[in-house]
Amino acid sequence: MITLEGVSKTYSTNNGVKSVLSDVSIKIPTGKNIAILGLNGSGKSTLLRMLGGIDYPTRGRLYSDKLFSWPMGLSGGFQGSMTGRHNVKFVCRIHGKDDTDIAKAIKFVEDFSELGDYFDMPIKSYSRGMKSRLGFGLSLFFDFDYLLIDETLSVGDKNFQKKSKDALMNKINNSNAILVSHSMPTLREICDVAIYLRDGNLSYFDDVEEAIESYQAH
Amino acid sequence: MNSINTHISVINALFLREMQTRFGSQKLGYLWVFIDSIAQIVVLAGIKAILFDRSMPGVDFAVFLAIGILAFNMFKSIVFRSMDAFSANKGLFVYKQVKPIDALITRAMVEFLIYICALMALSAIGLYFNFDVNIQNIMLFVGAYIWIAIFGLSLGITFAILAEFFENLKKVVKLIFLPLFFISGIFFSVESLPLALREWLLYNPVLHFMELIHGSYFSVLDTHYVDYQYMFFWTIIPLFVGLFLYQRTHKVILTS
Repeated sequence: MITLEGVSKTYSTNNGVKSVLSDVSIKIPTGKNIAILGLNGSGKSTLLRMLGGIDYPTRGRLYSDKLFSWPMGLSGGFQGSMTGRHNVKFVCRIHGKDDTDIAKAIKFVEDFSELGDYFDMPIKSYSRGMKSRLGFGLSLFFDFDYLLIDETLSVGDKNFQKKSKDALMNKINNSNAILVSHSMPTLREICDVAIYLRDGNLSYFDDVEEAIESYQAH
Repeated sequence: MNSINTHISVINALFLREMQTRFGSQKLGYLWVFIDSIAQIVVLAGIKAILFDRSMPGVDFAVFLAIGILAFNMFKSIVFRSMDAFSANKGLFVYKQVKPIDALITRAMVEFLIYICALMALSAIGLYFNFDVNIQNIMLFVGAYIWIAIFGLSLGITFAILAEFFENLKKVVKLIFLPLFFISGIFFSVESLPLALREWLLYNPVLHFMELIHGSYFSVLDTHYVDYQYMFFWTIIPLFVGLFLYQRTHKVILTS
């Protein structure tokens, strides 16, 4: 169960305070793959960050006994001065992996991400797509209850997209995904249930199709 | 994995990452810490030899300079590097295990170790070239080095957090360190100062640390002017202010 109790989230920007969630209380059943729908700025990424434990509600509480991955987004998630290889090592180490596992992870991520020479170059020289490939490949190596994926499935060429999707389908046999995407076919294919964020509210749908209809009606 | 193990794993990973980026880009990186400090020692010893004949009897002036400069550089390095710890590791805070304070403490630890290695290497050189390497009170000397490192860490924590809210603070701090080099007793002792100046300069906490380092090293010098209470307050107040501010603002630091 993922529980939100009176969760509000506001940001202070140059144009005043912006609210993305206002007093949301809901219990979301786990064990399902969840699609997150909403317009840009509706708080999709913020919700992922809160689930990933690196952002907090302004008011209220959000908790779950499940293990979430870090939010995989298009922007960053890596330290720019470090190479791809060093980032992989770092992430393995903070998850308590030993040297044998680190070697395995490096091999796996290097093969999966198809970065070639870039694997040993600083991340700041990567394109957004390359970062996403590295991050997604790396996340596949760990066992989370939930993978938090923000738009990263749509990067790379057709072949890579297919490979990512296959890898994810394979992964969600044992775990689940929470997916932010503007690609409705992807959401339909992968997700079982959906969350629709709109005007600070959060609606839960047992059926992805219903959520998509509701989303497209606005 | 329980939380202690996670914590150790994170510190270990950050430590290796800091060593990598501190020195990874240039192979001479490790050497640079020595070259930098030795150059300062040589220049200052040269100036002293040419301009001032008045020497401190029983004090090997090159050694006097060396132990002060290394301590000062370590202190400065710890303050500067911890001050930048949050902005330099922002990309890693996407992993919930990695807390900003871990990054800061690891950085301070890395600097401390680097300068302790530099101190040992310089001692070996001193021994080889027959400089005065007899430390009068080694426990007090080592204690002073550790204490000034902790002092640097407590200032670093406070500055790092304040700099999240006041962008220009880092520049101000860096500016303050320029004159600080000249008024911190790196190349003079408090005893040698005119009385009027002495009173004013003793408000500078770093001068007390230098007096302690010099006084514990040379048998002909003492720690008469060292005010331990004053040093203690300068260490403990920024530490508590820093930790208090961190407690209040760490969520903001994480998401900014």
